[in-house]
Amino acid sequence: MKIIKFENNYELQANLFSFVIHLTLLIFIMFTVDWKTKAPHFSEVDLWDAVPTQVKKVKQESVKKKNIVKKKKVIKIKKEKVTLQREAEIKLKKKKAAKKKVLALKKKKEIERMQRKILNQEKISKLQERLLEDERLEKLQEQLREQDLKKKERLALEGEKDMEAGVNSGELERFKMLIQQKIHQNVNKQLCGLDDVSLIFEISLMPTGDILGTPKMLKSSKIGTCDEAVERAILQSQPLPMPKDKKLFRKLKGLKLKFSPNAIN
Amino acid sequence: MNKKIISLFFLSLLIFCSASYSLEVIEILGGRANQIAIAVSPFKEFSSQTGTSKVHQVIASDLDRSGLFNTLDTDGVSNPPSNDLNINFTRWSALDAQFIVVGKIDQTVDRIRVSWSLLDVYKEKTVLSMEYAGKPSQIRAIGHKIADQVYERLTGSKGVFHTKIAFVKKINDDKYVLNISDYDGFNVRTIMNSGQPIISPRWSPDGKQIAYVSFEKKKPVIYLQELATGQRTLLANFKGNNSAPAWSPDSKKLAIVLTYNANSQIYIIDSDGGDIKQVMRSRAINTEPAWAPNGKEIYFTSNKSGGPQIYKLNLEDDEVTRITYEGKYNLYPSLSYDGKLLLFLMQDGGKFKVAVQNLLSNQVLKLTNGPYDEAPIFSPNGHMILFSYKDYGKTSKIGTVSINGLKITPLAVGNEQIQEPTWGPITN
Repeated sequence: MKIIKFENNYELQANLFSFVIHLTLLIFIMFTVDWKTKAPHFSEVDLWDAVPTQVKKVKQESVKKKNIVKKKKVIKIKKEKVTLQREAEIKLKKKKAAKKKVLALKKKKEIERMQRKILNQEKISKLQERLLEDERLEKLQEQLREQDLKKKERLALEGEKDMEAGVNSGELERFKMLIQQKIHQNVNKQLCGLDDVSLIFEISLMPTGDILGTPKMLKSSKIGTCDEAVERAILQSQPLPMPKDKKLFRKLKGLKLKFSPNAIN
Repeated sequence: MNKKIISLFFLSLLIFCSASYSLEVIEILGGRANQIAIAVSPFKEFSSQTGTSKVHQVIASDLDRSGLFNTLDTDGVSNPPSNDLNINFTRWSALDAQFIVVGKIDQTVDRIRVSWSLLDVYKEKTVLSMEYAGKPSQIRAIGHKIADQVYERLTGSKGVFHTKIAFVKKINDDKYVLNISDYDGFNVRTIMNSGQPIISPRWSPDGKQIAYVSFEKKKPVIYLQELATGQRTLLANFKGNNSAPAWSPDSKKLAIVLTYNANSQIYIIDSDGGDIKQVMRSRAINTEPAWAPNGKEIYFTSNKSGGPQIYKLNLEDDEVTRITYEGKYNLYPSLSYDGKLLLFLMQDGGKFKVAVQNLLSNQVLKLTNGPYDEAPIFSPNGHMILFSYKDYGKTSKIGTVSINGLKITPLAVGNEQIQEPTWGPITN
C-alpha cells in the first residue's frame, strides 16, 4: 500500500482549493444579490432609430448578425421540413396514381367486356333483321314478278284489243301532236290580255280534217276577243291533219281542246 | 215492278254510254303574237267629186300601224262589194283574209254619208254594220272613226285613231312652235310660238289643257294652255328650275320638278296653282314624274343607286320602291292606262331604246333598236307608243311603235327638227 503525504499531493490540494473558492463565491452570491420576491414594475420606453450612436450601431449590427444566423437556421429547418413534406406528398401521390391506374384498368376491362357483349347482341339482332329483310325482299320481288306478269298479260290483251280495233297508240299520239302544233301557230295571244286565262272547246271533225259545224265553247276566258281569237285559230287551222286509217280516225273525230294562251309553252 | 226494271235498264244504259263516250284531249299552251289578217275593200263612190274614195286607205293605214293587223292589199280587187250582201267569202278566204271591211260613200255637194260593214270570213257573217255622215273635208276623220270601231270590235280595246298628238317643231334654231295634229301627223296646227325652247308638253287627261315648259323667262317655267281658248297660265315660276310637268289622272293636280332646294325634287301642285307640297326629299336627283292611273303612286327617275333608274313612290305611305333592274341606265317612265305596263327609255349597248316592262312579271321587252330614241309616251289605249328618234342625219323625227314591237311607223309632220311628242286622250 502506497501512502501519499498531504504536502506532496498536489492534486488533492488543487481540488480542495477550487472547492473552497467555489464555496466562498456561493456564500458571496447568496448574501450580496438582492433576490426579488415581488413582480417588477414595467416602464414603457420609445426606441428612436433616428438617433443612432456608434455604440448602438455596433450593437445593432451584432444583433442583426445574430438574427441573420437565427433566421438562416430557421430557414434551413423550414426547408428541411418542406422537403420532408414534399417527399411525403410525392409518396402519397404515387400511391394514389398507382391506385387509379389499377382502377382504370379494371374499368377499361369492364367496358371492353360490356362492349363485346353489346356487339355480340347487335350482331345477333342485325343478323335477325337481315334475315327478316331478306324474307321481305323475297316476298316483294315475288309480288313484283306477279304484278309484272299481270301487267304484261294486260298489255298483251290491250295490244291485242288495239290491234283488233286497228288503233296504234303511237300513231294516235303523233296525230294529236300534229293537230296541237297546227292550232297553236294560229292562236293570237295578244287578244287575251296579260292574265292567265283558259278556254275549252269541243270540235267534231270530218275525215278530211274540216270541222263539222262550229267549235263548241265549253269554257270561256271571259274576254270576248280572246274567245273569238281562239275560235278563229281553230277555224283557221282547217283542214286539221287526220289519219287515213278509219279506225284511228274514229278516235280523233271528236276532240276536246284545252287552251291556255298566256301560259309559257 | 216492271217500271223499276225499265228505269234501271235505262240508267245503266246511260252510264254505259257516258263511260264509253270519252273524247281525246289536246292541250294547247301559249300562242303567238299573230296579226289579224284583214282586207279593207275600196269603198264604192257614188259622187261626181273625187278624193273621197281613199277612205279605205285611211282605215287600212290605221289598222296596220297598230301592229295587231295585217292589212291585205285590195287595190287590185275588181268590182269591190259595197255592202254585206252577196259576198263571195271563198274569194276573200283565198286571200287569207280573216275579216273584210266593205262600204260605200254617198256624196252630195256639202255632205257625205259613209255606210260600211265588217264581215267575218270564216264564219261568213256580218260582225258590224254602221253609217257615218259629215262634211266632205271630214273624210279622214270618218275613216279614223271606222278604224276605231273595227279595232274595238276585234281587239276589245278602244281605238285611238281619232285622237290628237302634240309635238315641238324647231325652226332654224331660233323658233320653236308647239303643234297639234291628228295621231298620224295630218291636220297640223300651231298653238304656241316662241323664240325660246319649249319642252315637255303634256296633255291633260280631260283633254282641255296642255302643260309645257318654256324658257321665255330665261329659265324653265311651267305654263298651262287652254286648247279651246288658247289662254295661257303661268303655273310654276319658283326659284331655280321648274320642269317635267305630269298630270294626275283626274287632271286636278300636276307633279312637277323644282330645284328650289339645290337638287331636283318632285312636288305636287294644284292645277290652279293653289297648293304645293314636296313629295320627294333626298340627296339624290329625283325627276321625270309620271302618275300611275290609280292616282296613288308616282313613278320617277332617280340616281339614288348610282345610275338613273326608275322608282315608284307610294303617296299614301311615302314608300319608295325600285322598279327597273335590267340595264344600268333607265329613265323617262310612263304608265299604260291600266297600270300594268311601264314604258321607259333604256340604254342598251350604248343605244337608247324604247322598252316596256310588264309590272306583273317584270319581263322587259325592247321595242326599238335606237340608237337615239327619246321621250316615249303611251297611246291612251296602251297599244301604241309615240316617240322621237334621230335619223342618220341627226334630224329629230317622231314615229309610232306598236306594243308588240312589230310595227314602227314614222309620222310625216315635216322635215324640221320634230321632238318632245305627247299623246292626247280619247275624246268623244
